[in-house]
Amino acid sequence: MIVAKRKPLGEIVEMLAPYQKITVIGCRSCVAICLAGGEKEVKMLVSALKIKNRKEGRKQQIDGFVVERQCEKEWVKEVEERILDSDVTLSMACSLGAQTIGDMYPKHLTFPGLNTGMFGVPEEQGVWSEKCIGCGNCIIHTTGGICPIARCAKSMLNGPCGGSANGKCEVNLEVDCAWVAIYDRLKLQNRLDLIENFTPAKDWSTSHSGGRRIYVREDAKLSQHQKKGKEAVQ
Amino acid sequence: MKAKIQVVLCKCCTEIPSVLRLESLSKLASESNNVMSVMTVDAICDGKQLAPVMNDVKQKELDRAVVLACHKKDVSPTLLRAYRRAGVNEFMVELVNIREEVVLPHANEPERAQAKAEAKLRAALARSLMLQPLERQTEEMKTRNVVIIGAGVAGQAAAKEAAKAGAHTVVLEKSGKTLKVPGVVMQHSTLVGAEGYGGNLKLKIRAGEKVESLDAAALVIATGGGWTQLKGSLAKAVKDAVPLYKLNEQVQVDAPIKGPVVVVDSPDPSGKTMAVQDFAWDETLETVVELKKKHPETEIWVVFQEMRAFGLSELVYKEAADAGIKFIRYDKGGVPKADPKNPGVLSVRDFSQGEQLNIRFGTLAFASIPANPDNRLIAEVLRIPMAADGGIRRGSIQRWPVSTPRPGVFVCGSALFPKSREAAEAEGEAAGAMASAFVKRGTIEFGGVVAEVEQEKCSACLTCVRTCPYEAPFIGAAGKAEIRIQACQGCGMCVGICPSKAIELRNYTDDQIMIETRTLLGGDF
Amino acid sequence: MAERRPKIIGFCCERHGMDSAVLAARTGKQFDASVRLVQVPCAGRVDGIHILQALEDGADAVFVLGCLEKNCYYDTGSIEARKRVEYVRQMLAEMGIEKERVEMFNAASTNAWAFPEIVAKMVEVAKKLGPIEEGERR
Repeated sequence: MIVAKRKPLGEIVEMLAPYQKITVIGCRSCVAICLAGGEKEVKMLVSALKIKNRKEGRKQQIDGFVVERQCEKEWVKEVEERILDSDVTLSMACSLGAQTIGDMYPKHLTFPGLNTGMFGVPEEQGVWSEKCIGCGNCIIHTTGGICPIARCAKSMLNGPCGGSANGKCEVNLEVDCAWVAIYDRLKLQNRLDLIENFTPAKDWSTSHSGGRRIYVREDAKLSQHQKKGKEAVQ
Repeated sequence: MKAKIQVVLCKCCTEIPSVLRLESLSKLASESNNVMSVMTVDAICDGKQLAPVMNDVKQKELDRAVVLACHKKDVSPTLLRAYRRAGVNEFMVELVNIREEVVLPHANEPERAQAKAEAKLRAALARSLMLQPLERQTEEMKTRNVVIIGAGVAGQAAAKEAAKAGAHTVVLEKSGKTLKVPGVVMQHSTLVGAEGYGGNLKLKIRAGEKVESLDAAALVIATGGGWTQLKGSLAKAVKDAVPLYKLNEQVQVDAPIKGPVVVVDSPDPSGKTMAVQDFAWDETLETVVELKKKHPETEIWVVFQEMRAFGLSELVYKEAADAGIKFIRYDKGGVPKADPKNPGVLSVRDFSQGEQLNIRFGTLAFASIPANPDNRLIAEVLRIPMAADGGIRRGSIQRWPVSTPRPGVFVCGSALFPKSREAAEAEGEAAGAMASAFVKRGTIEFGGVVAEVEQEKCSACLTCVRTCPYEAPFIGAAGKAEIRIQACQGCGMCVGICPSKAIELRNYTDDQIMIETRTLLGGDF
Repeated sequence: MAERRPKIIGFCCERHGMDSAVLAARTGKQFDASVRLVQVPCAGRVDGIHILQALEDGADAVFVLGCLEKNCYYDTGSIEARKRVEYVRQMLAEMGIEKERVEMFNAASTNAWAFPEIVAKMVEVAKKLGPIEEGERR
């Protein structure tokens, strides 16, 4: 899932300072699960901002609520009035949610309340780790199910490099060497021969480097005939 | 329907009026919304004075009450029963501790006390309007089985004690040893699965090759201590070392013991993980003294980091020293070692003399026993907490001394942490008695103040499932969290942590807590 | 003008927390009246929202009182509560508000001395820091 964490409150306070009416919108999906932007966090943030205002004698009207999935227009549409009624919306969803609101109401100000970090896995309660960077061309069947692109500091396809020592990475001695993990896993699976294979440079055209990526599934798209309301008009 | 509140002001004989003006509290109450009746009584804990209060409830058909008296635990059971009989749900009775929270600690400042009492009354009235009537439910236990895991000292004691109290006992023994304990003994069996909650547990037991299911009402974990071999560098050299209890057994049955005898405090003296257990000192002293009595010719060495003889054990220590048993103290700088090429010699630096000693031995025994590795499997299956040293962790001492946090699951003996036979036996008896008492209730009572999930809000993030100490929340068929109310203890930990605010604790909802806070802050005192 | 009296909210578990407060009262201890206790079943029931809401509603300081951590009636409730209190303290610090205003305490039901000490400490904090509003600061 997408893992995010709340921006430092000082930054948020500063961002919102010039505005009078503020709407804070959380999301019940990924960011609720990674404990960054669910209803609890929204309520705590609203309360904290009000305390700050109480301290500084600033008058702001702050309101907070959550939507099911902020990255989908239909859910955002349900709270349209409350968004447009405010001077600024603070999105407590990942950047996708904030941008969805921003795209839907381009004149309206939408600010991010969270720093969106990564695709991560909850290793245990309260700990998330990155395991994928979304390169668009998965190869983990050849690397024992461990992604070297996300987990190796150099995203090496043929590792480990000379900087791997005692299972740790030279970039940061706290970080495990992904290629040692791959070696161990392949050994466990009796597929160590794979590590001998030379993997040529990967096709990176599927990755982020070409600007925004758009995936389309033609069969899933609504045809012109199926569209309703104003979307039907081209 | 409009809420009808009865307010009862207890004088607590003369204590409360000596500080507070009850008439103004009474006036405040009668002027508040929804208050139908205000009564002042001399002492609510006096059964005779309950009658007029309850008659008032019945006459006016009141549905809730706010009682300003003393500590909840002192008044509640009788008072709540009386209200229940009068037709008021006991969860709709708001008890305010005016005596210990206001009158006693603020007796020197009656004006502030008065204002505080008034704020507390207002808060209680505000909360009272938001209370929900709740019911407690019961469920029959399907069986009266007490399953005991392990047939060591503690397990046998537990089985005997539980059987004495009339419970049906099933003892699971990992080995094939034959036992004379009441009830069924399943040899070569281990616990591999468990579902349900204390009272109605469904266990999966691997007996030999087969996996059988067994219903149980209560469970006693008596897995005992762990490995019985040396660890670390000593293990490489000495292959036939015995744990102290084995040595003790040999002494008891007059088995031949090859001298000289050396007793070391830990099976892994150079290791860092293993602490020497407190029973080791006493048990060692008793065993070596008995050995010396039976075989005065045997040379005996006790090699310890320190010897802490508690209480009367000091006399045994003296007796041992007088009998010629040699005590060698070592420290981290000179731990006992043995050379694999010369396995019959233990070399250790005597800490007090600073000399390197080479002790030739016939028998090497070690006193401490680490935690049983089986504990991990059992704790995993039952989802109960463990201590860092690998023992089963017990729950709060306030509840039961031999219990895990899960109701109906008890633990005793060295499964908690290694201990002497006597202590293990006593704990076994306690666990057996607790388990049979639990089973004899025949029903499980649950409900009332429990957590409740508002499923539309749930993100199925598993936070509640991971946080609950009682395994009450689970993700149900709908893919949303549900509460197993039979297991819920009503602490509200899941409620406070839910990131989607999808869980509420009945009668302790966020709104109820916050209105109380807000009303209390409204008062100026 | 009379000295402004601090407003302190104490979320108190109904097990050891409340018992220690009651025991203190019964053993004749006198303590400041400005502490308003809100009883909860377990310190683990307390949500960060409750603490922040209390500060928002005018409390100068808030504390949570639970059982001793290794002897919590609900096993891990007071450990959980401490983590939440810590989170709120961190939030306050990030905004430049004194985190000393929020505190977690543990007490055993037999500690008659514990509760008056907690009250004294929180009253001292509340008096020292004054209300959250900057203008009203002495």
